[in-house]
Amino acid sequence: MQAHDIFSALSDPTRLEVLGRLVESGPATATELSASMPITRQAVAKHLAALDAAGLVDRARSGREVIYTFDPAPFEGVLAWMESIGTSWDDRLDRLRNAVE
Amino acid sequence: MYDDEMIPDGGGAAVERSVELAASAQTIWDHVTRGELLGAWMDGDVVIDARRGGAIRMTRPGAPDVWGVVEDITPGHRLQWCWRTDDGLPTMVEIELCPAPGTTTLTVRETLLPWRSIELPPQWTDGGAPSAMLGVARAA
Repeated sequence: MQAHDIFSALSDPTRLEVLGRLVESGPATATELSASMPITRQAVAKHLAALDAAGLVDRARSGREVIYTFDPAPFEGVLAWMESIGTSWDDRLDRLRNAVE
Repeated sequence: MYDDEMIPDGGGAAVERSVELAASAQTIWDHVTRGELLGAWMDGDVVIDARRGGAIRMTRPGAPDVWGVVEDITPGHRLQWCWRTDDGLPTMVEIELCPAPGTTTLTVRETLLPWRSIELPPQWTDGGAPSAMLGVARAA
C-alpha cells in the first residue's frame, strides 16, 4: 500500500529533513545535500535510496552524479486514502443516525 | 464538522468526523459496543469483545476481513481499537461520546499507523469463526 510506504519512508527525522531540502531548495545531488547537513554523503545516499523506493524522489543521472528531485505524486495516494476513509465514515454515521434517532 | 489533517513529523494521516445525534449516550454506546448493532451501521458483520485487549473483527462481502484489538475503553464515553486489513494497512479508530441535554455528539477519528505493527495472536488470523476468536480473546 502506497500510504504505508510513504509514511514509513518519512518516519525517520533525518530522512524527512533530506526530503525537506529537496522540496525547499530544488533538485540536488547527494554530495550537495551532505554539504549542508551534519551527515556523510553515504548517509544521505542511503536516505535518498529509501525515498526513491517509496517513490518520493525522481533520479536523473548527470555525469558521475545522480540528481534527485522531489516527486509529490505519492501523496495523492494518501489523500485518496483520506477521502475514501472519510466517505465511509460519512456513510456509516448516516446509518447510525437512522438507527438511533 | 469536517477536519481531515496530515500530522507532521512523519506521523500518519487522520480523518475525523463529528456528528450530533438526537439520542442518549447510552443508546449510542450500545450501538458502538454491541457487535450486532455496531455491524448494522458499520455495514459489515462485526464481532467485538468490548474490553481492553478484546478482539474486533469485521467481515463484509467482497472486501478483506478487518481484524484488530480493543486498546482502550471508558464505558459510556470512549472506545479505541486498532485494526488492520489483510492488506496490512494498520489504523487506529477512536470513538468518543459527549452527552448534552437531549443529544449526544459522537466524534470518530481514524489514523494511519504505518510506523507501528499491530501484532495479533496467530490464532486470530487463521480464519477461525468469530465465536472461536472471542474464545481465544477471553482465554488470553
